[in-house]
Formats: sequence, structure tokens, C-alpha cells
Amino acid sequence: MKERIPYDDAVDLLDADHKAVKKMFIDYAALSLEGGLADEKRQLAQRICQVLTVHAQIEEEIFYPRVAQALGDEDLVGAALADHKRTKAAIAKIEAMKANDPGQDAAMSELGILVDQHVQEEREQLFLKARRSTLDLRGMTPELLQRQNQLKGKSRAAMVKETA
Amino acid sequence: MKALVYNGPRDVSVNDVPDAKIERATDVLVKISSANICGSDLHMYEGRTGMQPGRILGHENLGSVIEVGSAVDRIKVGDRVCLPFNIGCGFCANCEKGLSGYCLTVNPGAAGGAYGFAGMGPYSGGQAEYLRVPYGDFNCLLLPRDSVEKENDYVMLSDIFPTGYHATELAGVQPGDSVVIYGAGPVGLMAACSANLKGASQVMVVDTHKDRLQLAEKLGAIAIDNTDGEGVDRIMELTGGQGADRGCECVGYQCCNMHREEVPNLTMNNLVQTVKATGRIGVVGVFLPEDPLAEDKLAKKGQIAFDFGLFWFKGQSMGTGQANVKAYNRQLSRLIELDKVKPSWIVSHELPLSDAPKAYANFDARKPSWTKVVLKPGT
Repeated sequence: MKERIPYDDAVDLLDADHKAVKKMFIDYAALSLEGGLADEKRQLAQRICQVLTVHAQIEEEIFYPRVAQALGDEDLVGAALADHKRTKAAIAKIEAMKANDPGQDAAMSELGILVDQHVQEEREQLFLKARRSTLDLRGMTPELLQRQNQLKGKSRAAMVKETA
Repeated sequence: MKALVYNGPRDVSVNDVPDAKIERATDVLVKISSANICGSDLHMYEGRTGMQPGRILGHENLGSVIEVGSAVDRIKVGDRVCLPFNIGCGFCANCEKGLSGYCLTVNPGAAGGAYGFAGMGPYSGGQAEYLRVPYGDFNCLLLPRDSVEKENDYVMLSDIFPTGYHATELAGVQPGDSVVIYGAGPVGLMAACSANLKGASQVMVVDTHKDRLQLAEKLGAIAIDNTDGEGVDRIMELTGGQGADRGCECVGYQCCNMHREEVPNLTMNNLVQTVKATGRIGVVGVFLPEDPLAEDKLAKKGQIAFDFGLFWFKGQSMGTGQANVKAYNRQLSRLIELDKVKPSWIVSHELPLSDAPKAYANFDARKPSWTKVVLKPGT
């Protein structure tokens, strides 16, 4: 059967990650409130961190530079990169933790707030402006998807290695 | 310009802010003459949403066009227009189908945009002197010629009248149906009014606020006071033990029991009980994907304990979501023009913009007789 790319454009693809991690953050908060198993929480935390890491990388490699060029606005992308820097620091802190680290819930909640703020900024500013620019967001989609799959494969392989 | 600004939970003020202006060629700039306070503004007012401090509230707006962008064809300076609370582009897959409340382009990521609303895009609200209207040709409803004398009627076309009507559409109300409506707030009352318009044979409205139930009675509906928790029994009696043909939920996730405690699944499960087997339920009350400040554990993650077993067993069906105002507002405006309906009867207070903070506090406290506030910027 012929394969088709299900995303309309780059914004659609990138925002699918936002929606997916939002659901996972809500699930994590519920687990932590209900005294969920440490292993279950740890797995979810790692999964969130992985999705965010891949997401940030494809944005930084492909999406942001082209948006900055098309909009002629380095500041907007600069602010997004600063958000990413804060997010990455929060992710590194979580990834360095052990499964039953008592600080994990607080660190996840902090990461959730950072991500919420970043997503709102991106939806209300960068994505809207990118869509209204002359940038070929549809043409960029296969490239983003390919790089995303490549990085997802790498992070899965790393996880298998870690648990082996 | 002056505008009502959200500063934080239960803290709003009228501030001087930069004037709204044309930002894109498809924009229209409106001088606001009427801007209602809506029950859903209270979710933000109470700090129950991700609303950012500094933003202007208000999504029920009417006014006169004072400037149009260079790509606007239809709307002219001087036109009197009512703005649907939803902002649509007119050209995405959902807008094309009349589902402008779920526009895919004005608020990338989330479906749907609105003025001054948390999570619905960067658009400022209209509780202000001026409002920027994106895609003005698509979003402005040009009002009939009697719009000055009937301004308080037409402003209800921005949200509550179409939303109440949408509840009856989602529930599939047809002539002769019996209809039970949970919530006698402005939307519930507009749903009752819409059920009447559609020829319902029996309209029952359930609430615990006596002043609001009296308004339901004025519409010819049967008012059911659920203060003692016996509302369900009363509806079953009135429908010969069968339940109503159709049900409407016009309360939402902050619904309360008789003790004023929030019980988010109360109205939904009462509807399953009081709508007949094979009946249909329309839900326009607001429910959200997460509510971190809720007391209830399930509600925190956007869930309710729903009587799905009984819902399935009775073969019921349900329609949900915000109203696509543009799908109804033109037709409903004709009913107002021809005096078939007069939604302004719901207005309890007409106040200058400067009184907005006081109005919010009273409306939020559900002070008796504070049913619907219309702000009049520029007076």
C-alpha cells in the first residue's frame, strides 16, 4: 500500500509531540498523587524526556534556523532556544536520577511547567508566524519526520543497551 | 485604550493598555459598544485555567467597525457587527464544514481560537474600547438595521444564544420532545428558549438557584429546584418514569451539589438517569483535559466517574463541545429582527467598563439577581 505522511505541515508534526507529552505529564502527575509505583513513574519520566529531547533536536537542526531566516526575526527563535536550554537542564537533572529518587516528582512538575510555557509561546507566536510566512512548511515535513525517526531509533537502541 | 485586564486569581482591573490595531491585511478593527461577562470568564477569573496575567478578557462582543485591513472586501467602516466568540479562518478543513469553533489555523496545535480565552490563541478580549477581529470578512456578523435599539439582544449572538441553541442541536431536540436542561445560568436559559423555539412539548430546567429558576419559569419551563437533591425523582415523575427524550448539560466541570461542593460528575450522571433509554444528551458545559486545582483526584487529570454502564445499557448517545457560533448566528439574528425572540430579557446589569471588576466579584459570588452583565465601554 502506498504510504502517506499524515501530518499537514511541520507545525502539525511538531505539535503532535506537544500533545503527546501533555498527556504523559497529566498521567505522571496522577501517578505521583496516587502513590504510583516508582518503576512505572520512572519509565514515564524517561519516555517524556526522550520525546522532548528528540523534539528539541529536530526543531533546532531543521525548523528554527529556517523560521528565523524566513521571518527575519532572530529574537523569537532566540527566546525559543533559551526555553530549550532551560528544558534540557531540567531533563538532564531527571535523567541523572535513580528510579526511586525522592526529588523526581518535583523535578517532573518543574519540567512540566517549563514545557507548558514553551508550548504556549510557540503556539501563539512562532507557529502562527511561521504559518503566515513564505516558508515551505509542507516541504519541510518529510525531512523532519525522517530525522525524528532516525533519532527515535537511536534513543530506543540506547535504552535497550542501558537495560541489557 | 481602557481594557479589563486579568492580573491573577480573582484580581482584574481596568487599565490603560496599547490600542488594539490592524495587524494583518485581513483584520477588522471594532469599537466595542457592548461586551458581556460570561460564566466561562469565571473559570479564568478564579484562576482555574492557564490564563496569563496581563491579558484582556471578554469574548462576547458587539460594536462598530472603525477600520478595515487592505484585504477586507465585505465589511465596511461604520458597519455594526457582532463577533462570534470563536475565531475562525474560513478556509481550513473544519471551517469549511461549518465547524468554526474547531478552526485548525488560528490557534496552531489546539483546535479553536477565541478572544481573551486561556489556551485559545494570542487574541485579546473585547472587554475594552477596541477589538482586533482577525479574518474580519469571515468572522463579523453584519447586524440587521434595528441593531441600535436591540443591541442587548444582538450581543447575545456572540455566545450564549448560539451556545444554548447548540446544546439542543447536540441533543437532537425535535418538535414534541420533552427536554431536561441541567443549569439555569444564561446558557441553560438560552437552551430552554431554543427548545421552545424548536417546539419542545415539555422543558424542565434543573438548578439550585431560586432567582435563576424563576427566570426559567418566565420562559414557560418547569423549574426543578435540586437543593434537596430530589431533582432526579421529580423529572422521573414528570416523564412517567421514562425520563426525558433529550437532555442538555449547561453547567460544566465546576458543577456543585446542594452543599456548594464541586462534584464534577453530578450533572452528567443525573442526565444519564433522567434521559430516556435511546435518548440523546448534548453537553455544552465546559469540561477540561486537566484541572490541577480541583479537589477531586480524577478531575485533576480531566476525568469524571461516568455511569457508562447505565449510559450503554440505555442505548443513549451524546454530543459534546463548544458551539460553532457561525453555524447559527445569522439565522438566530433574523428571529431577533422579527421579534420572535428577545434574549435581552436575561440582562440583569448594564454597566460601564469601569465597573467591570465589581461586576466580576458579584457574578463570581453568584450574588442573587446577578444573572448577566453587559459592559458598555465608551459610556
